[in-house]
Amino acid sequence: MIYLDNNATTRVAPEVLDAMQPYLGEFFGNPSSAHAPGREMKRAIEGAREQVASLLGAADTSEIVFTSCGSESDNWAIRGVLAAQPAKKHIITTLVEHEAVRNLCRLLENEGYEVTWLGVDQNGELDLDSLRAALRPDTALVSIMLANNETGVLFPINEIGAIVHENSRAAFHVDGVQAVGKIPINLANVDLFAMSGHKLHAPQGIGALYIRKGVSLSPLIIGGAQEQGRRAGTSAVPNIVGLGAACRLAREDDDHARVERLRNGLEDEILRNVPNARLNGTADRSKRLPNTSNISFEYVDGQNILMHLDQAGICVSTGSACHSTTHESSPTLRAMNVPYTAAQGSIRFSLGRYNTEADIEITLSILPEIVAKLAAMSPYDKELAKLK
Amino acid sequence: MSDHFFNPRNVGDANEPRFVGRSASLTCGAHVRFSIQVDEGHAISQAKFRAAGCSDLVASASLLTERVTGLTTADAATIGPEHLEGVDPRCAALARDALLDAIRDFSNAARDDWAGDEALICTCFFVSERTIEREIQSRGLTTVAEVTKACNAGAGCGSCHQLIQEILALL
Repeated sequence: MIYLDNNATTRVAPEVLDAMQPYLGEFFGNPSSAHAPGREMKRAIEGAREQVASLLGAADTSEIVFTSCGSESDNWAIRGVLAAQPAKKHIITTLVEHEAVRNLCRLLENEGYEVTWLGVDQNGELDLDSLRAALRPDTALVSIMLANNETGVLFPINEIGAIVHENSRAAFHVDGVQAVGKIPINLANVDLFAMSGHKLHAPQGIGALYIRKGVSLSPLIIGGAQEQGRRAGTSAVPNIVGLGAACRLAREDDDHARVERLRNGLEDEILRNVPNARLNGTADRSKRLPNTSNISFEYVDGQNILMHLDQAGICVSTGSACHSTTHESSPTLRAMNVPYTAAQGSIRFSLGRYNTEADIEITLSILPEIVAKLAAMSPYDKELAKLK
Repeated sequence: MSDHFFNPRNVGDANEPRFVGRSASLTCGAHVRFSIQVDEGHAISQAKFRAAGCSDLVASASLLTERVTGLTTADAATIGPEHLEGVDPRCAALARDALLDAIRDFSNAARDDWAGDEALICTCFFVSERTIEREIQSRGLTTVAEVTKACNAGAGCGSCHQLIQEILALL
């Protein structure tokens, strides 16, 4: 299998599994218990918290709270900020956020909040002047992602945070789920930052939220006094230990440069050799994640490409409407004004630490043939003829 | 179904003169083009398709081309998504819509060229007044539905139902 879908989820790293193993067998206990096994659990959790804080560059480990996933972190950050300042009814976010933010903000519109939806240009980039103009005295929250899950386009959160804090008293939340483990993180101007373990080789079912000291956040889950009373529920010790190990791995054994070289080779070759291929997201690679390429194969269907690649043992994902549960083409690509016939043929290649040179070579040897076969079947034969 | 997706049959365009139909979905973004060649007996002698859509759509269109080859346009028009097994019925319906559109294209062209000396009642499937009268009298038909079943008249757009009713009333 050639796995090029690391933005969807990643394989649990053997180092992570090794770190977790004792906590799935030999060591057990409730970290809230006062006895020795309980204390061992507590120690393991705090060790992991240090690893997460260190990867994110948090000033203090107490700024890291463990959650069940990235979506919980996003939901908590947003709802928690709003609950802590109920008089403010304005939110600013973007049209290209992950569903965990976008769908929650849609829901909040029905709950009496006014949401300013910032758009992006055809490169997927934000206009910071429109952000500045949207800030108001009653803006409670600005929620903007660091890296887009579909295109890998990065938003300049350091600059955005500065604009938010200079021009308002709003809290600045960043959905960092897709970025952590792939690029260095700078939290200097960030109040809240969501991350998820399974995007960086920890298991599914573990996330974390960075809460800058001094930011007031109401709890989302009510119960016991775990996580300094901020997030109730018995701590998932094995998963937390796994997340800590994954963060250590990302920091110490960083091979982003190698992954980026593989990605660049894949992207360059596809764009060069496939006549109906076009890149989605800025061509300026310094403004994109090093592992992601989103390419549209115009006038053919992305789900068809996906199925043919799948048959060849290659895993990718698509922004085609049919494939999605909502039967809508990708909101990110729509916000970028990607033509419908191109959005339908979009394929996301997202690489990771276990990809090899051979993976890319094999993919490049198979993909153009698949696209050519589908193009020969396309009812857009006149349009395709013009591209040759 | 999976074989019809990975190895679709009858991809491309039917030979000239061909009749072409299209369908598209605003929900899923799929687009199908069906082209058929029809012989003197109104039978489909060749059926081809092009599609940009999901695997089920490709499989549906491929299955449909095989299914309709050799059938009269009237019989081909009765094939519904329920007759294509193993595919999503929505995709099957979209492929079928393109086929119906191609049959309509044929019917429109044939109607323009109609040179018969008898009155044409069903313009979808070219059934003349004389044929309908013969069917009614020889079989003792009493309803429009029975006439449709017997000779296809009225199986298309339905605009001739009133005329068939009148023929039934006169006989």
